[in-house]
Amino acid sequence: MDQLRNKKPIPWQRACHECDLLLTGGLAPPGQKLVCPRCRCTLHRNGNHSVYYTIALSLTGLLLFIPSASLPLLRFSLFSFGADNTLLNGVYSLYKAGFIWLASLVLFCSVLAPLGKFLLLLFICCGSAWKFLDRAVAFTVRWYQHIKEWGMLDVYMLGILVALIKLRDLGKMDVEPGLYCFGAMMLVANLSSLSFDQNAIWQRMALRRALREAAL
Amino acid sequence: MSALQKALKKGMTSCLSCHQLVILPANGGHCRCPRCGASVHGRIDGSLMLTWALTITGALLLLPANILPIMSAIYLGAGEPSTIISGVMQLYNSGMWGIALIVFVASIAVPVMKLLGLILLLVQIQLRLHFVPTQAMKIYRVVSGIGRWSLLDLFMISILAALVDMGFIAQVAAGPGSTAFASVVVITMLAARSFDPRLIWDAHDGDLYATAVEPETAHRSAAENG
Ligand SMILES: [Zn+2]
Ligand SMILES: [Zn+2]
Repeated sequence: MDQLRNKKPIPWQRACHECDLLLTGGLAPPGQKLVCPRCRCTLHRNGNHSVYYTIALSLTGLLLFIPSASLPLLRFSLFSFGADNTLLNGVYSLYKAGFIWLASLVLFCSVLAPLGKFLLLLFICCGSAWKFLDRAVAFTVRWYQHIKEWGMLDVYMLGILVALIKLRDLGKMDVEPGLYCFGAMMLVANLSSLSFDQNAIWQRMALRRALREAAL
Repeated sequence: MSALQKALKKGMTSCLSCHQLVILPANGGHCRCPRCGASVHGRIDGSLMLTWALTITGALLLLPANILPIMSAIYLGAGEPSTIISGVMQLYNSGMWGIALIVFVASIAVPVMKLLGLILLLVQIQLRLHFVPTQAMKIYRVVSGIGRWSLLDLFMISILAALVDMGFIAQVAAGPGSTAFASVVVITMLAARSFDPRLIWDAHDGDLYATAVEPETAHRSAAENG
């Protein structure tokens, strides 16, 4: 930033990533958001205590993942037959029927990407406290941006609700405890991606670097 | 207009991954973001070509996705494979019009609207038609936001396949159309990602093929214009 300031009269802080407009304001004040004046896209949302909220939420999400993935979500019974739906056995029955590409897409979007998001967020928020993890954290933030939109728990939830209504007339549908855990996990997943603010991480790392330099 | 400055004209750009303001190398090439290490280009490399290619592929795959059966449901020995459209019609005929509407929006309206929106954006930029950039940005945001909901039908098939698995009494299985439909969803999501919205503003400002200009020249041309 310093060399930038010497070279040019206006201290540009940020360029809008959707319309390339140069802005002098870099970050939003706490509790508010910064909106691009030209294209109205949200540039930065400054939530309070973003790092700690994200750690708490992603830990909760990881804990909720265990029952959501192991307990049955729905139970369908017809005459004396019955079958459960868990997060994984739907994928397995697609895989068994030979739809490997479809099975891996469903597996990725409903299990791996949400789990990965929780793990990456936890690593980013906790890891930004140590110097030797700087490169790994920067790399992880990049990966988080890539898999962010592939976590589709909310779409899966809607799929469950549609299946629930669709099969209600055919046989007996029961909601199993896993579904409540899954619903909670979906909520926590959305909250954690909402509360995560990568600028807070970069600021935290920059502050730690500045403190270290001041101490030396 | 002097207050509105484009970053690329000043030889800078925003890192798409961490939104850091990065100074591009003077020769107009790309570099690595000093903060997060992502590769930074002035504009996404070959954005228009890549988006066209993915959009056309997606549109072509939409045909087998709609013609081939997406799933087959057998109930008490009766039943037949159903395509996306016949599945929606079945739901509508059995009185579940709410569900029919949701499935229709997710599996037919969203992919078609997405492809049409992307084609509209690409044509507007390449033919330099007169358009309002804020409206184009609205289309871009809708296109990049709604794509994921198309996976609804596929998730539902995976749930039903696990729930209704009772041999000859009742059985739900995926059909070949589902593979094509899964590809449509993934490809249109990638197409929306490869589209660079900053090109909308470039076309609006009339410098579509703008490359990184060195600060001095940028200052001079700004002075000439002003
Ligand atoms: Zn903007
Ligand atoms: Zn970056």
